[in-house]
Amino acid sequence: MPIPQQFARGDRMGRGPYEKSGLISETSLHPGKTKKEHFEIFYPEGLTDLDVTVKLWYLPYGTMASDPFLWREVNKSVSISKEGK
Amino acid sequence: MTTKKIKTVWVWTAMIALALSIPLTALAAGIGKEGRIVNKKGKANTIAELVAMYDSSSCIECHQEIHDDWALSVHSRSIYGTGRTAATFRTSVVNGLQEWAFSGVKGPKDVQVEHLMGCAKCHLPQLADANDSVAKELIASIYNWMDAVRAGNDKVRIVEENKLKSLNINCLVCHNRNAITHKWTDGYPQKGVVYGSTDGEHPSDAFPTMKKSAIMGESILCGQCHGLGPNLELDNPTQCATLYGSYLWSYTAEGGRETCQECHMRKSGLGHNMQSYRDPGLAEAALDFKVQTSGFHWRDASNIRPYVAVDISMTNKAGHVIPDG
Ligand code: HEC
Ligand code: HEC
Ligand code: HEC
Ligand code: HEC
Ligand code: HEC
Repeated sequence: MPIPQQFARGDRMGRGPYEKSGLISETSLHPGKTKKEHFEIFYPEGLTDLDVTVKLWYLPYGTMASDPFLWREVNKSVSISKEGK
Repeated sequence: MTTKKIKTVWVWTAMIALALSIPLTALAAGIGKEGRIVNKKGKANTIAELVAMYDSSSCIECHQEIHDDWALSVHSRSIYGTGRTAATFRTSVVNGLQEWAFSGVKGPKDVQVEHLMGCAKCHLPQLADANDSVAKELIASIYNWMDAVRAGNDKVRIVEENKLKSLNINCLVCHNRNAITHKWTDGYPQKGVVYGSTDGEHPSDAFPTMKKSAIMGESILCGQCHGLGPNLELDNPTQCATLYGSYLWSYTAEGGRETCQECHMRKSGLGHNMQSYRDPGLAEAALDFKVQTSGFHWRDASNIRPYVAVDISMTNKAGHVIPDG
């Protein structure tokens, strides 16, 4: 998300278009650019088969409470060997 | 006696008017402004007059399909929006203008056109063709609408909602008023003309002429409202959409060559129904999304723990940053 500065000064974010000017930080996806994310998850105790769901959410107002939009959902089943030491 | 007096007064008035008109004309830069719709009709004093000034309902009988597509886009309700836009106009008055010591706004009745142009330059550019009474009527309507929503008063809510939805970016905004960005180069948009891709006759009584707009197929047509960054020409800069800036300095800079029209109107198949990710086709076109998983047994000093690594790669295939904001 573009994180706009309040009145183009200091370290506070502005939310309303009447107070936004400039940027403090910017984490959007830029055209033609590839962004990578890496996650590591331990299997719950005793399991060797895991269903992993990856969801990409867009939160226009910054929280799941207001108008979240699901962009992508990918499901994968990941199994690992049950024998060995 | 009396007639003579009146005559002298009349002569004096005429001379003052003449003296005044010279510097006024000299001050107004550019040639051909007097042919614009606003100059022919005069500035609007009410919302109804402003709607009538750029009334596009006559286009429907011949361009039904384009109208129906446009009606599905948010351009067809650019002040009401999804409701959030109108609500944010109110916030801009309450938490903005009224709080600022030097805005001159103590309450909604003090709001003038200039106070709203920080939003209207993109959400309703034709507000510049209205007098301050329209700015006050617009803000009053938004307040009444929100009060009615809160009170559950459907009758008032619907009246105000319809009034707010009558204000929009319609056919005549894109094909007349805002169809020319470089007015000293290409001339001011003239009453009676629809600007598109060709010169010729246009079979409509009110708009008998068709002229080529140099920018109808160019990104700047959209860019003029889709933002570069802070709007620094204003006495108190605002910032909302900044997507055109990203199109120029990120997309074009990295070799992107398609126009807004190519992606949003032609390839999308949506024509005048310009949409964002809420349209499934555009959501799909926007992103390459790859997920790779690999499970294995992790081993530290003394423990084995099963573990999965998830690698996600996202590539933006749009012509600008996503999301805009
Ligand atoms: C009586 C029917 C009629 C009405 C009313 C009408 N149009 Fe048209 N319009 C046409 C036709 C037919 C053409 C195609 C003319 C041609 O290509 O020779 C056209 C062409 C156009 C074009 C040019 C398309 C291009 O080639 O780029 C635009 C823009 C346009 N109309 C806009 C409007 C707008 C805006 C209105 C309402 C103010 C309107 N029209 C009302 C029939 C109409
Ligand atoms: C530079 C042009 C521009 C200015 C100035 C501008 N806006 Fe916007 N605004 C847009 C565009 C374009 C969008 C929608 C597309 C996007 O976000 O890319 C938008 C979106 C919005 C939204 C989000 C709507 C929704 O449903 O999510 C709100 C709210 C809004 N504007 C209110 C305002 C207010 C209030 C002001 C003045 C303080 C303002 N805007 C100034 C162009 C502008
Ligand atoms: C947001 C700006 C915008 C609005 C609003 C708009 N148009 Fe257009 N219109 C365009 C652009 C840009 C093109 C050129 C598309 C292209 O290059 O492929 C176009 C093309 C056209 C054409 C010729 C090509 C075609 O699609 O047949 C006609 C006719 C037309 N518009 C009529 C209308 C009418 C009627 C309305 C109102 C219902 C309207 N437009 C509203 C921007 C707009
Ligand atoms: C006169 C100003 C203006 C012009 C010209 C204009 N737009 Fe917009 N556009 C807006 C505003 C304002 C909004 C947001 C309205 C709202 O949500 O309140 C918007 C919304 C949109 C949206 C929807 C955004 C969303 O978040 O749903 C798209 C897509 C869009 N415009 C594309 C275009 C394209 C493509 C063009 C050129 C063919 C164009 N616009 C021309 C002002 C304009
Ligand atoms: C290469 C194709 C492409 C080009 C060029 C392009 N767009 Fe887009 N645009 C997309 C796609 C795909 C989306 C859907 C992603 C989204 O909504 O964020 C989108 C989304 C949008 C949105 C919604 C942004 C949001 O926050 O969701 C707006 C507004 C918009 N485009 C306007 C424009 C304008 C104006 C131009 C030209 C300056 C333009 N686009 C050029 C493909 C393109």
